[in-house]
Amino acid sequence: MERSLSLATATAQASLLASNWLLFAYVGLAVALLVWGLILFAALRWRRRDTPQAPLPPQFRNNVGLEVAWTIVPLALVGVLFAYTYRAEAGVEVLAADPAVTVNVNAYRWGWTFAYRDGPTVNGSFANLPELVLPRGETTRIVLTSSDVNHSFWIPAFLFKRDAIPGRTTAFDLDPTATGTYAGHCAAFCGYDHALMGFRVRVVEPGAFGRWLRSPAT
Amino acid sequence: MSAQAALPAPAERTDLLSWITTTDHKRIGILYLTTSLCYFAVAGALALAIRTQLSRPANTLVGPHEYAQLFTLHGTAMIFLFVAPFALGLANFLIPLQIGAPDMAFPRLNATSYWMFLFGGLTVFSGAATNEGAAAAGWTAYAPLSEIKISTGLGQDLWIVGVFLVSIATILTAINFVTTVFIYRAPGMTMWRIPIFTWEMVATSLLIFMAFPALAADLLLLFVDRHLGGHAFDPAYGGSPILYQHLFWFFGHPEVYVMILPYFGVISEIIPVFSRKPIFGYTGLVLAAFAIAGLSMGVWAHHMFTTGAVDDPFFSFMSFLIAVPTGVKFFNWIATMWRGSISFATPMLFSMGFLMNFLLGGITGVMVASPPIDFQAHASYFIVAHMHYVLGGGSLFAIFAALFFWWPKMFGRKLDERLGAICFWLLFIGFNVTFLPMHFMGLEGMPRRVFTYPDTGHLALLNAIATSGSYIMLAGVLVFAWNVVVSAFDRTPVPDDPWDANSLEWATSSPPPEHNFDRLPPIRSERPVFDARHPELAQGAAR
Repeated sequence: MERSLSLATATAQASLLASNWLLFAYVGLAVALLVWGLILFAALRWRRRDTPQAPLPPQFRNNVGLEVAWTIVPLALVGVLFAYTYRAEAGVEVLAADPAVTVNVNAYRWGWTFAYRDGPTVNGSFANLPELVLPRGETTRIVLTSSDVNHSFWIPAFLFKRDAIPGRTTAFDLDPTATGTYAGHCAAFCGYDHALMGFRVRVVEPGAFGRWLRSPAT
Repeated sequence: MSAQAALPAPAERTDLLSWITTTDHKRIGILYLTTSLCYFAVAGALALAIRTQLSRPANTLVGPHEYAQLFTLHGTAMIFLFVAPFALGLANFLIPLQIGAPDMAFPRLNATSYWMFLFGGLTVFSGAATNEGAAAAGWTAYAPLSEIKISTGLGQDLWIVGVFLVSIATILTAINFVTTVFIYRAPGMTMWRIPIFTWEMVATSLLIFMAFPALAADLLLLFVDRHLGGHAFDPAYGGSPILYQHLFWFFGHPEVYVMILPYFGVISEIIPVFSRKPIFGYTGLVLAAFAIAGLSMGVWAHHMFTTGAVDDPFFSFMSFLIAVPTGVKFFNWIATMWRGSISFATPMLFSMGFLMNFLLGGITGVMVASPPIDFQAHASYFIVAHMHYVLGGGSLFAIFAALFFWWPKMFGRKLDERLGAICFWLLFIGFNVTFLPMHFMGLEGMPRRVFTYPDTGHLALLNAIATSGSYIMLAGVLVFAWNVVVSAFDRTPVPDDPWDANSLEWATSSPPPEHNFDRLPPIRSERPVFDARHPELAQGAAR
């Protein structure tokens, strides 16, 4: 019923997030293989095969050119990664001027309230998971807060979470691109039943969303 | 002079009272190491309980109340009572020996630190004996969760008092380290000749000065909130939960480097000895340590990317920059091994394990320093995997490397090499089987600090694999404990310098006399013991 993470992304924001993930994963893997390779090569190539009385290996040290190189090259690499990540984050965090739907989300121990502006309010806790219904292809603004302790609104399939902190509101946009049902969860430890503090997300076509807004029972 | 030399040395006391009243840095160091290893055993047992509970979905071995105490005490003990204080204990034992001093600058302050650390830890654990149980708000104790309205139990107060004591003890110890290194060096031991481990402890101590007062302030504010009507973190009265996080991570991120820089030092001591070469870039390693320490003061809010309340790009960029000096260290270690004559005694095996594991933790560290990645990884099992690769795969492996390397110096007998290799392979395989799958649990949407999880995706399989790995690690730790027992009954004498090592602690007897050195070799480079062994090379090696 509920989809787990795959790179077929579920929101417009998630495709930006996923491309950032992939870039870092590939670069990270390449660096890891290079350095692991160097470590293992050195360890195996120059392992001591003879007696401890063998002559000392050459006692060389310090090479300014080499040391500058292995400082500058990583510096350039993280510079490129930062430029990419800066753009991806800006794309994810930008708020639309006129979102089609706005939902005020309140997190509490241990459940969620989804209050649609000019629409119904959905409330539920772990015994009866609340469902956040979103229209596909339109922008939904989530305005998030908490009424007791820190919580975190996390939809793993959207590759995104935002903390719900009492005394603060924070806003972000979701632009779902595929219909389906996804799992959501609280990601900030909030007390004993934190593990059970889930919710469901159902992305439907805009027409079905309009009907749901008018009669949420269906 | 000659008249003094004729006097017999007083017999060394070994009774219990002499250990309780000791101000000898070596004994305090050994007390620190032993105590922190005991806390490690407890924290490890808690980890096994956690992994056993999570071995299958919807397990009911422990309930949510017990589980919250388990992971709170596990994190608190591993971080505040094991990984950081083990380094302090090691430095207590080593710094005066490495710089040719007879003791620490403030021996009684040193003893005070140890006893505050011991009783601070016991205070944290004593919460388990109270009606509502031990602290259960996580090792981070985020407000408002840790406020009295929610965490009503005495356990949370005992946690605050205990961790506060440990933080004060840590600051006092750092004062002692810096003073000792700056003032008590032997003639010829210039700052640019002190061993890398001692350098790393100087950098660590400076970090402690800057970071731990923020923790102490945060804990005090929380205590005032709980019992004296303060509202620092209570939004209903204009307080700020975000302020708690800022203060906590202003301490908490430098703390990560307090828990890793000393172990960079350990690795930098061990690799040259078992490669039979000088450390490649001594100056580069020292500068990298200070670059890491400096940068680590400006990255704390990368723990808060998902709050939406901090300047993500700034803290992201600063965090990326730390990869550069860390890379410098890796390349220096590899260059030290390059064209060397490398033997794989147990300390070197654990150092290699450190390099392999820590590299992955470092790379996932750069990944989660990217906010778009952190939006998914934060507070998920991906982060659990990342931090365990740093502190478990990194620091813990360096701790075992240090134990095997300096054991002969501390106790005058060696740990068994064959058992050491078995211990290494069990820990290395067990560690990776436990923590590699956690990356994928996080990607599948498993949050951290959950006592149960649904049977969706591959979570059941991944968790079962992780739990089996944790029992392999248990076997490795038990082999180590057996090794300690075996070595206690092994009367084979060990030479003063069994590894053909470099730094000054190997110039004295094993174990060293109370005053450390009867005489010092000439100190013309950062490896005076090597110079004494190879006088034909000493000139070329001297800086």
